[in-house]
Amino acid sequence: MKPMDLVRKLRRDAAFEPSALARGKETLMATIRQEVETQRRPSIVPQLPYQDIRAALDFLERAFGFREVPNARLVSAEGVIGHSLVEFGGGVIGIGTQGAHRAVSPMRGGVESQYISVYIDDIDAHYQRALAAGAQIATALREHASGRTHRAYEALDPEGHRWRFVQLMGEVPRP
Amino acid sequence: MSSPSDAEVIGRSLDQPEAFGVIYDRHAATVLRFLGRRAGAEVAEGLVGELFRIAFERRKTFDTSRATALPWLYGIGSNLLLKHRRGEARRLRANARMAAADEAADRRAGAKALDARVLFPRVANAIEALPDGEREALLLFAWEDLSYQSVAEALELPIGTVRSRLNRARAQLRELLEPGGEKRVKRR
Repeated sequence: MKPMDLVRKLRRDAAFEPSALARGKETLMATIRQEVETQRRPSIVPQLPYQDIRAALDFLERAFGFREVPNARLVSAEGVIGHSLVEFGGGVIGIGTQGAHRAVSPMRGGVESQYISVYIDDIDAHYQRALAAGAQIATALREHASGRTHRAYEALDPEGHRWRFVQLMGEVPRP
Repeated sequence: MSSPSDAEVIGRSLDQPEAFGVIYDRHAATVLRFLGRRAGAEVAEGLVGELFRIAFERRKTFDTSRATALPWLYGIGSNLLLKHRRGEARRLRANARMAAADEAADRRAGAKALDARVLFPRVANAIEALPDGEREALLLFAWEDLSYQSVAEALELPIGTVRSRLNRARAQLRELLEPGGEKRVKRR
């Protein structure tokens, strides 16, 4: 027998789990999604500290319509979320642990050191959604004539971070 | 219209990463079988996603003058398999035993079956004893039915080097078929 034929005699196929290909594809697609998310990430990402990140992520989605960035969550072996990212439109905000990087949740520190403006298209619907989710309204929804005409309201999330939601007027046709 | 070539798909995936999923759909089954033959089902199942993840991350370096990505994927797989040499050697020895048993079960083989029980483990040992580069060229050629050109693309070697590696591997295997051949091979 020729050497190559002998080598071929030792060739044996393995028996695979039917799900093997699907699992491999999931590994690849997770990598691809991560790259897509990274490409989309803005150059400046504010980081907000929370005592309860899980509750914060849930609230920000329910009340404000933010979306947690896929695969962004960092979870410890004990199942505690240490950090994640939420996105809305073209913006991304880090949701981190109270005390880490010396950042303090207003719930702990008693002060809000900043507020974050979020530009949205339909402020009436957004306001109703936030109300229904139990957001604390800090300043009521109203029109402002200073500078460019806009409608805005401010809400506090469960830990006291202040969010200002703004709809610029004139861009969209008024009814 | 015919479907786009691998090179076109990979080119498009530079701007649209999701497009790379097509490369998986086209070649993952082939690549999984390749990894399985070499390292067994469990290792192969763990490696196939990793292999395509690496390919995706290196897609900028794919030579788009090549129509098919398969040799390139084989090459990435060959590198990954280097970390699983012991499992591969175990599997090769088991394959040799099975090949010998197959011959024994074939009644027409008769006296040859006894030879097979000696011969196939020798073949396995000889493959094992080859330097990594020669073994890789040999197995891509003999088990995966790659052409010399494809083996050259997979291992990123000139085709002449592939030819000489395969010739050396052949010569070494031929030696062990001679009486007392195994001892000579082992002494190297």
